[in-house]
Amino acid sequence: MTTTGMNSLEENLASLTARFDEAVANAPDAHALDEVRVAFLGRSGEVTTVRRGIGALPPAERPNAGKVINAAVEALEAKLAEALARVERAGLERSLEDAIDVTFPGPRANIGAIHPVRRVGMEVARFFTRHGFAVVLGPEIETDANNFDALNIPPDHPAREGLDSFYLRPDLVLRTHTSPMQVRSMRKHGPPIAIIVPGKAYRRDAVDARHLYMFYQVEGLMVGHGIHFGHLKGMLVGMCRELFGPSADVRFRPSFFPFTEPSAEIDVKCPACEGRGGVCRTCGGSGWIEIGGSGMVHPNVLRSVGYDPDAVTGWAFGCGLERIAMKRHDINDIRAFVENMPGFAEALA
Amino acid sequence: MRVPIAWLRDYADLPADADDIIARLAALGFPVDDVETRPELTNVVVGRITKLERHPNADRLQLCTVDVGSEKTLLIATAATNVAEGQTVPVARIGAKLAGGLTIAPRKMRGIDSEGMLISAEEIGLPGEWFEDGIMQLEPSIRLGTDLIAYFRLTDPVLEVDVTPNRPDALSVVGLARELAASFGVALHEPPVDVQYDVDGADDARVTIETVDCKRFVYQRASGLRVRPAKASMRIRLALAGQRPLNNLVDISNFVMLELGQPLHFFDWDRVAGKHLVVRDARDGERFTTLDDQERTLDARAIVICDDDGPTSIAGIMGGQRSEVEPSTSEVLIEAATWTGPRIRRASGALKLRTEASSRFEKSLPLALADVGAARAAHLLEQEGASVSMPHAAGKPAVAAAAVTLPGGEVERLLGFTLTDDEIERALASLGFKVARPSTSSGQAASFVVTPPYWRGDIAIAADLVEEVARVVGYDRVRAEVPPVAPQDVDSAEFDRETELATTLAGLGYTEAISLSLQPASVAETWRANGIAVDEPVQITNPLSEDQRFMRFSIAPALLGFAARDRAVRPYRVFELGHVFHDGQPEPSETVQLTALHAGGESAFGRLTSDVLALLRRITGADARVERGTFPSLHPGKTAALRSGDSVVGYVGVIDPRLARVYDVADTTALATLFVDALPPHVAPKYVPPSKFPAVDRDLAVVVALDVLAGDLVDAVRGEPLVRSATVFDEYRGPQAGEGKKSLALRIVLQSDEKTLTDEDADAALARIVATLRERFGAVPRG
Repeated sequence: MTTTGMNSLEENLASLTARFDEAVANAPDAHALDEVRVAFLGRSGEVTTVRRGIGALPPAERPNAGKVINAAVEALEAKLAEALARVERAGLERSLEDAIDVTFPGPRANIGAIHPVRRVGMEVARFFTRHGFAVVLGPEIETDANNFDALNIPPDHPAREGLDSFYLRPDLVLRTHTSPMQVRSMRKHGPPIAIIVPGKAYRRDAVDARHLYMFYQVEGLMVGHGIHFGHLKGMLVGMCRELFGPSADVRFRPSFFPFTEPSAEIDVKCPACEGRGGVCRTCGGSGWIEIGGSGMVHPNVLRSVGYDPDAVTGWAFGCGLERIAMKRHDINDIRAFVENMPGFAEALA
Repeated sequence: MRVPIAWLRDYADLPADADDIIARLAALGFPVDDVETRPELTNVVVGRITKLERHPNADRLQLCTVDVGSEKTLLIATAATNVAEGQTVPVARIGAKLAGGLTIAPRKMRGIDSEGMLISAEEIGLPGEWFEDGIMQLEPSIRLGTDLIAYFRLTDPVLEVDVTPNRPDALSVVGLARELAASFGVALHEPPVDVQYDVDGADDARVTIETVDCKRFVYQRASGLRVRPAKASMRIRLALAGQRPLNNLVDISNFVMLELGQPLHFFDWDRVAGKHLVVRDARDGERFTTLDDQERTLDARAIVICDDDGPTSIAGIMGGQRSEVEPSTSEVLIEAATWTGPRIRRASGALKLRTEASSRFEKSLPLALADVGAARAAHLLEQEGASVSMPHAAGKPAVAAAAVTLPGGEVERLLGFTLTDDEIERALASLGFKVARPSTSSGQAASFVVTPPYWRGDIAIAADLVEEVARVVGYDRVRAEVPPVAPQDVDSAEFDRETELATTLAGLGYTEAISLSLQPASVAETWRANGIAVDEPVQITNPLSEDQRFMRFSIAPALLGFAARDRAVRPYRVFELGHVFHDGQPEPSETVQLTALHAGGESAFGRLTSDVLALLRRITGADARVERGTFPSLHPGKTAALRSGDSVVGYVGVIDPRLARVYDVADTTALATLFVDALPPHVAPKYVPPSKFPAVDRDLAVVVALDVLAGDLVDAVRGEPLVRSATVFDEYRGPQAGEGKKSLALRIVLQSDEKTLTDEDADAALARIVATLRERFGAVPRG
């Protein structure tokens, strides 16, 4: 029986292997392969049945029989692993052929937007802070002393006419410009000082396509030793390049503001026609857009805050943020900024 | 100021191209707001009617033989009735182009060839109703055959020039011509002021000044006048400048004002009672009829000029009917005065009467200009045949302006570029400044001592002179330079925080709004009428309309308005960050608030609360505590106070249902308001390393009374040392919880830094938690 027993075991293994190979070959996926594994290599699988036959062998043959079975099991497991790898690869190959409609919309994004006027203010601030300026904010209710007198606009000055103000009390106004923050900041901090002030200002204007009684300005102020008009131009050119792109340019035109001398209007080269003018809708054909006023801080203003105009010089400017935003976004009615229609801020963010 | 280029050219040889003039005006600080182009006009010459006869075939036509300076006369038929032999008239020749697109072609008029057309003012593009009815009458001094279009420069555009309030001298044609002449480097031809004064005639005028605000009063008599139309050259210039010609006397007074900037007044001397003028403050309630036939009630802010019968002119603003020039006037008293500017502004404001005169006087005209203006008027009246007596002046003498020192190097110190001393001197001299250069000790930069011309009352300090130099050499000379950065101690904390608040909320899905800060009384009234306490809002004393009388006390009304308007957009998330205003003593105040609104979607209140807590965490670096609270505009039972550190920094809640009805929004709409000024500064949170040992999750449901707050339960659970985190994730109310009860489900994460927790450890911790909750809230564990 000895040899016969051994032979019969090997025959059984061979037949088992043949059936295993066939089952593996026919298994389409990992799940089917696992069924094959259970059927042949599982606890009550066919190999276990064969292994039980070892008990019927003469003791001397048993070790050899064990080795033979173990070797066969190893071979089966290797084949199984290889088959598994094959079906996985095939599965991945198939999944690469899948496609989705990438244009099918997802659920609505949960994204808001800051207001375009804030965006402009932030970009101005970003440029100036890069050059060592601080950004300060201030009150909208102002004393008429800060709003006018300290800025060299005495009570009977003709310039008060153009700054028609809302009064809360004879001595309190809604600030007509952000310039009183020049006064507040210089009184608090000695020279050198370099600040910008974004914020609201109020003038008694009827609301129409070009006017709001409440609007945003950004004020700039730099005072120190050796500060001159050219530095103002340098910073404004930089600011406009930040806002309108690298080809932006700035020109000065003489003007009059009681708190600066010399004074200048700031024109920026039209970003739409790049200064060519003609039938440009953005600049009205002049090639330039007025964005604000500026100048060298008047000695009387420096004196009113305790600075010595013989020792330090400085410049200041003020620009309308809505006006800049209108030019950037091609908006021709300033009321759009306070209507807050759905999609307005999102479209311009 | 409306300025015809045609008139500017009388005083300076300016470039032919109007665009050059416009660009130069802007570069000098006088931007041109509007350019009125003139019609195309050609082929109009000056002619004289030498013979006038009836048209043989038409009653209504006359035939004029017209001498146009060439050998051959023209035969022209006309229907005009104001023609006469000897008249000098404009003649449109065959081929002429006239205003309104009219072209003169050869044509037969009732069988006779008309060789052109005699024309009216309208045909050369002037307002017809401002001139004589019919053919325009020209002065005979113009040479026959002269090209009338070129002579009066009738095709040059008319400019609307923006003049800053510091430059009343430039509110005049000569003033602007002077600026242009300096800039183009051409000569200025000042208008003649020479007069042969009549020293023998009566000169009995007396003027007494009784107010300090009459600074100077120049007066002189002109007699032997005849009121008639002014010369065409004057009428055409006035009409181009937008001033209606009336008669030679009124026109001269307007002409001098527009030409030199000095308003004048002519009194009909025969009608001045007592031949004595007194300049005094008006009396409150004094009544007076101005020359526009309006009866006006004066107050003490005005100054009046009186004769023996009382006021006869409102100083600096408008003359009176009683002594105005009329057709019979033969003698006038020229008044050229100077007033305290602000006084005229106040008086004109009080009377609500702003005139060409007052708008100049209110800017404080130079004293010496009164003398120049009077002399110019005298010159022009003399040309009208008047005999003019010597001028007299009352008030202050016109003293020369004080010299201003321009330190050497000041131009460079302010402008950042260098000019030679000669360039500086040339620039100032071109504008009429007198420049002296006193010698200095060697090594010291030379200063300039500069005397402004009389018309430049705005020049007081060195910086003013620097601007003048810059204007002449051109602001384009300023070179763009990046300034040196100097260290400073100003920080940007407030701005940075507002930026972070806004950008974080935008990232959380909210859109920023900016709304107008003024509102009608009805906003606060409506809140009050609905039982919501509102402090008295801050009031504007001079609003433009009742809709804008009050400062906003809350941002919520604006956002609720948007939410109602945009009801199609849901969920709707919006916020605004800005100032709100509070009345109070000693003065009104303002605070910075952020208000956010969430309407629609699932659990607007829950979403908004989570978002605001996330925002506060980002801004302050710490978690805010949620407590019960109340806040006007929010439902009293559905409002949470947000506590950050020791202070309440805001409220979040469901809208007060009474306001939901008012604003027509859903009563689930949620609102949050943060007090931005009260937010603590950001504190960097400390790092807690994660435990190396695994965490154990346990769910716990407890039944509690309805008024027990989930937040309080969670706080109590967190008191157990092994609890790493605890959240409430469900609430159940119903029969299984029992009447007046609710079941809250908590997810509790337990973890130790020292060891892996066993089931027994976790059970023990949970038992301690249950005991605490039972003791503090009467909580009973479920199932």
